[in-house]
Amino acid sequence: MNQEIDDMVDFDKISEVALDQTKSSGATYADIRIVHNQDESINVKNAIPELIDKYESLGFGIRVIAKGSWGFASSCELTLDSVKKVSELAVEIAKASAKVKKNDVVLSPVEKIVDTYKTLIQIDPFKISLKEKLDYLLSLYQITKKTSSVRFFESFMSFKKEKKYFASSEGSKIEQEIIQSGAGISALAMRSHREMGRRSYPNSSGEYQTKGYELIGELRLEENAERVAEEAKALLDAKPCPTGIKTIILDGAQISLQIHESIGHPLELDRVFGAEKNFSGTSFATVDKLGKLKYASDIVNVVTDPTYPGGLGTFGYDDEGVKAKKGYLIKDGVLVGYLTSRETADIIGTKSNASMRAEGWGDVPIIRMTNTNLLPGKYTLKDMISEVDDGIYLETVSSWSIDDNRDNFKMGCEIGWEIKNGKLGDMIKKPTYSGNTVEFWNSCDAVANEKHWKVWGTPNCGKGQPPQNMEVGQGASPCRFRNVKVGE
Amino acid sequence: MIEKEKTLEILEKGLRFSSADQTELLLLEEDTNLTRFAENVIHQNVAKYDHALFVRAVLGKKVGVAVTNGIEDDDIKKVVENATEIAKNMEEDPEFLSLPTSPRAKEVFGFYKNTFDFSPEDRADSVDLIVKKCKTLNLYASGAFETTTQSLAVSNSLGIRQYFKGTEAYLSLTSSKDGQSGWAQGLSRDISKIDIESITETAIKKTLMSENREELPPGEYTVILEEAAVASLLLFLGFLGFGGKTFIQQRSFMSGKIGEKITGDNITIVEDPFLTEMPGIPFDYEGVAKKKVKLIENGVAKGVVYNSYYANKAKVESTGHALLPNNPYGPYPKNMVMGSGNSSMEQMIKSTEKGIFITRFWYINFLNPMRTEITGTTQDGTFLIENGKIKSGVKNMRMGQSILDAFSNVEMMTKKRKVCPQFGVVMYVPAMKIKRFKFIE
Repeated sequence: MNQEIDDMVDFDKISEVALDQTKSSGATYADIRIVHNQDESINVKNAIPELIDKYESLGFGIRVIAKGSWGFASSCELTLDSVKKVSELAVEIAKASAKVKKNDVVLSPVEKIVDTYKTLIQIDPFKISLKEKLDYLLSLYQITKKTSSVRFFESFMSFKKEKKYFASSEGSKIEQEIIQSGAGISALAMRSHREMGRRSYPNSSGEYQTKGYELIGELRLEENAERVAEEAKALLDAKPCPTGIKTIILDGAQISLQIHESIGHPLELDRVFGAEKNFSGTSFATVDKLGKLKYASDIVNVVTDPTYPGGLGTFGYDDEGVKAKKGYLIKDGVLVGYLTSRETADIIGTKSNASMRAEGWGDVPIIRMTNTNLLPGKYTLKDMISEVDDGIYLETVSSWSIDDNRDNFKMGCEIGWEIKNGKLGDMIKKPTYSGNTVEFWNSCDAVANEKHWKVWGTPNCGKGQPPQNMEVGQGASPCRFRNVKVGE
Repeated sequence: MIEKEKTLEILEKGLRFSSADQTELLLLEEDTNLTRFAENVIHQNVAKYDHALFVRAVLGKKVGVAVTNGIEDDDIKKVVENATEIAKNMEEDPEFLSLPTSPRAKEVFGFYKNTFDFSPEDRADSVDLIVKKCKTLNLYASGAFETTTQSLAVSNSLGIRQYFKGTEAYLSLTSSKDGQSGWAQGLSRDISKIDIESITETAIKKTLMSENREELPPGEYTVILEEAAVASLLLFLGFLGFGGKTFIQQRSFMSGKIGEKITGDNITIVEDPFLTEMPGIPFDYEGVAKKKVKLIENGVAKGVVYNSYYANKAKVESTGHALLPNNPYGPYPKNMVMGSGNSSMEQMIKSTEKGIFITRFWYINFLNPMRTEITGTTQDGTFLIENGKIKSGVKNMRMGQSILDAFSNVEMMTKKRKVCPQFGVVMYVPAMKIKRFKFIE
């Protein structure tokens, strides 16, 4: 299965068989996705490569509507006989679903698309030798060796190429090739097994984008390795987090997580409608609040934007064949939109904004974030800090927990610094803060400008049953919040 | 599903194709069927069939891993070549000794034909029963009904030949109404053991009891944790320190503590995949026969689990707890069993002057791993107990609690235990009454 999928699979023939069979079995709508995934990951701990692995997977999934209900079946056996059987099974499943339904599924209209899309990359990561990748990661450890308290220095690279073909009974045929790259470093300093300090860069799980190997150079890991090691060591002697109500400034990475957990997830319309109640939870942001809820302060503007170049949630078409498009979720602080599928969009009288994706060929598409971007504001980070008399500046995601209604949360960061009289002061270890989503976002009184802004990649967003992993992005720059509970 | 003989032949082919010093092949085959329902409607209904062939190739002290889901001869050849090529490019790991050897694992019966044969229509009929029951009480039913058949085979060039095939059925149900909710679950290899009626009644009862929920201030409370809530604490304790990798690296709360008291006398935790109630697999992902391992006995730290690599580093034998070869997390216990007490749930409630009854926790994460401090919220059935009776529902609260402290403050435990699956780990635990449990929001 090493050759290109195009040489291996007669996509037109397979999709024709699937769409014919599902129709003759009683489906009123059907689509098929054939997906070929190739992953490569390299993990290095100190001077030893802990793991290098290559992963490859090929298969197809068929989604149908029959008797007004959904069915989905998938298989790794890509023969015409298997495609026929799986098509029949998908329809059988849909007919079973119809036993417990209220209304027939209605899909918001979508134009027929025949198109191809490819991630624009400069360097194909799968054409760079393992040796070159490994040598680079091992060289990073050499930079940090002199920081004696650092017990473990880890680095990694990860690459993914997904080729997928989509065809629907409405006539769409879409081919996409999406390439993602990621890398990161972290240092763990230990004095005893009770005292540890962890620092990472660019974020706690690295940084991922829809780019090629050029991302590795752009991240400048070698320029940050020594600082990461030194900060990990310094955390061993840092002050504990103060407790009380304070002004906090969160760095872009932490804002990215805050957007993800308390804006992105609550605005997934399937979640709002209760589809995840038993597993991933619900949302306080019910549809009666659309256009009314003052979700955040006036300076907060958030868009879903799967078209943003390089974002980890960037693609040409979603897994329902809907063209990627940018749209507001929060405008001037007011809730104005949701992440939608064709089915949920129709329920609220709109069209899908291309938010349906599946982890792989064997997973049914569900509503996922794309790039959920908080648009940049006007502040520099320096000016933002200069206006704080008594506060904390927090950097880098460490721990997160939010309730099943996406309201009450408690977050932890790797590192913080006191802010006293407009200036950064002493280092703080394990800083935490907590709050409630709407109150918190309404306390935002400063958003940093485009110089501080980027789309941060989250490679491991979990949702759905069976659990699906998804790559999403969040555009963010540092933000300031007043009257936030810290510590405890 | 592929026949056992064909599965083992695929692995033999891989061994024959390999030119590496040592080679290991693992074939994992899964047939998954899942019906999800929400707001009294089936909204997702899926089937997936897949297999994955993992290869570990060893050249001296260099190891490479490659995975494919193709099982034709060309696929097998290519994945073996890929793993070997990776090994060639690796740096030597001086601490790698060898792939493991192991006796044939104990035979464990795990395949139930009635579970394998359970059809989409059967699942829909079951969901229909649940939904109809909820509808009569103006409640909404949400949940998932899943059946899985899995085969796992491992062979290596040192003689390991292991095969296991098993089924699992799982039902999770949340019933709800106007912000009130209740939850229950059931897991068994044999689908006839999933008591749909009892699960439905439990979830419904908790929903109806949650009316007029009170808001309680943060602080320390006596709590009664149902089995699923206890299992969450155990799961995260396991993440934090029962694996040989974190233990050796001094990142576990168990590091340096073997033989010392770390919880109350009444806490015993054993990794035991062979317990009748446990849907365990008798060997690990490198084919080593699993052993029963004492983790904590009467409050004293006893041991951790190992795969072959970390067992070699620790100069002990592998306990048979390797995870899949393409993960960097090290060994982990996937079938933890807690010792039980002598009480019933009724006795625990009756003995409580003031306390909080908790069905389960949601979205737990670490606050301070070395102190085993975690946070998370209560979910789907939280109640105030006053004067030995459940008085009212309570709005969900956020806890901030050290797990070891909680397990040092256990006052009572039920004699009856339940199987609780979470995140791929299956636990068999009692319900507990714990004093001074801390809520921070």
